[in-house]
Amino acid sequence: MRTLILIALSILLLPLVVRPAIATEIWIFAIFGLGLNLLLGYTGMLSFGQSTFFGSAAYVAGWLLKHYGMNVLAALGVGVGVGALSALLVGYLCVQRSGLYFIMLTFALNQLFYFIAYQWTSVTGGEDGMPGIPRPVLLGLNFQDPLTYYAFVVVLFLASLWLMKRIVESPLGKILQAIRENEVRAEAVGYNVPRFKLLAFVLAGAFSGLAGVLYAMLFGIVPLEAIGFVFSGNVVFATLIGGSGSLYGPIIGSFVFIWLSESVSTIWARWPLLLGVAFVVVVLFLRGGVVEAWSRLMLWRFSKQKT
Amino acid sequence: MLYALMGLGLSLITGVLNIPNFAHGALFAVGAYLLVSFVGIVGNFWIGLIVAPLGVALLGLLIEWAGIRRLYTAGHDYQLLFTFGLALILNELIIVVWGPVGISHLPPALLRGGVDLGFTFYPKYRLFVMLMAGLLVVLTWLFLEKTRYGAIMRAGIENKEMVSLLGIDIHKLFTVAFALGAYLAGIAGALTAPIRGLSPGMGVDMLGIAFVVVALGGLGNLLGAIAAGLLIGVAQAVVAAYWTEASTAVIFAVMAAVLLVRPQGLFGIR
Repeated sequence: MRTLILIALSILLLPLVVRPAIATEIWIFAIFGLGLNLLLGYTGMLSFGQSTFFGSAAYVAGWLLKHYGMNVLAALGVGVGVGALSALLVGYLCVQRSGLYFIMLTFALNQLFYFIAYQWTSVTGGEDGMPGIPRPVLLGLNFQDPLTYYAFVVVLFLASLWLMKRIVESPLGKILQAIRENEVRAEAVGYNVPRFKLLAFVLAGAFSGLAGVLYAMLFGIVPLEAIGFVFSGNVVFATLIGGSGSLYGPIIGSFVFIWLSESVSTIWARWPLLLGVAFVVVVLFLRGGVVEAWSRLMLWRFSKQKT
Repeated sequence: MLYALMGLGLSLITGVLNIPNFAHGALFAVGAYLLVSFVGIVGNFWIGLIVAPLGVALLGLLIEWAGIRRLYTAGHDYQLLFTFGLALILNELIIVVWGPVGISHLPPALLRGGVDLGFTFYPKYRLFVMLMAGLLVVLTWLFLEKTRYGAIMRAGIENKEMVSLLGIDIHKLFTVAFALGAYLAGIAGALTAPIRGLSPGMGVDMLGIAFVVVALGGLGNLLGAIAAGLLIGVAQAVVAAYWTEASTAVIFAVMAAVLLVRPQGLFGIR
């Protein structure tokens, strides 16, 4: 209940604190992170290629929106479908391997999609990105207004969160967690482990796809970076700093990550350098994410008060 | 052959240390840029070719000592973030130090021009790179197969607990393996510089290829990495001759095709 109040409060307050575009981006990124967390936090699969599905969905739905004036809901459906389908293709090749192989394969296939997008300039615009993606009117709602679009994204985020909560609490979610805890035992109990891993992968791809389309509509462009591996790394980072074990971790991570990167990137063009430093520092000194860092800080303050 | 060199180094690191090294491509790029700088300072390509990879090996030593050493017990996710962060840092440092624009670099005077092989005309420098990379692969292989320390290293890939139980300092082994892998990446980068020129993005491109080579060859399977490197190189060259745009994508397509048929990779056992 407290978390729900917290989420409701942040939804209301966020657009007052930062620009609506950034506030919207935070929730989009949170949807993206929810998808990854199903893999990373609940199934124990570290995918380093989530931008494959994010980017593919953004390109396909963006293309349809731009050239065929597609309905917004249909475009979102297409995005979810493309995300799931591309995840099915990639997942089919990857789920049979685990550990380091799995990481490397998801990354390598991410690179495959990246190079296709990079070279197929007639459709994707290559390095320049695919500009001119509209936000068509839906049921009289004018999405050109940043706050209306913000509300739309928030509704979709809440729907995603609810759905994800249902998924992880369902028998399926329990099976996935069993795979995370002990793959051999889950297999021995009679579950078809690769099948369930693939299912989790496809579900995560669908969430990524939804986030991808919303992202394309938010900025009106699909940049090449949206399908690049740095993007995949960012979402892993955001999920980990939020704390990957919990349902709400990626939301916190998304807040911290987007807010930090947006504020730093306007100051210095070489901000990925700082991002890299942040990665290294977090890994070396702050493992366990923001939540743990916070409790440690509290402990430290508490011990100071006593002395 | 350069792919084999990259794959060999990465396979060594992933195999022995059991970490995903996302900084491998950045080490490759640093090797190339260091070469150009050294050649600029000393004015001699050969000295640069010796010194630059050693610089990269030193960097590898430092990275292992300062960071990766603390992460062996952490999960792959944190190891990944660490090496990924390093890759970002190195990549940005390259842009800060050498600028974002690509640099072209000429091969040394001795190796300019081409040789007539009878059936085709081939640039001398490329021939040199092929020979050099081949020599390095053979040397590394000999080191791993024929020397005592190489045997220890292979044993480290197979079973780390056993090796440390036998009274061998496994951490020193890890450090050496990482430095050696970094050295191979560095020299691959240095050798590439005069062929393809330099750009900050070169590391990332190479990283993807190196992962493909390792995935195809099998983790820690060094002979497999060499074979997979050759296979990928040939496939790319053949496709590039007919359809230039697809020459990078084909590397990953080959990997996908092989994995469909043999999920464990070409020579993988696990």
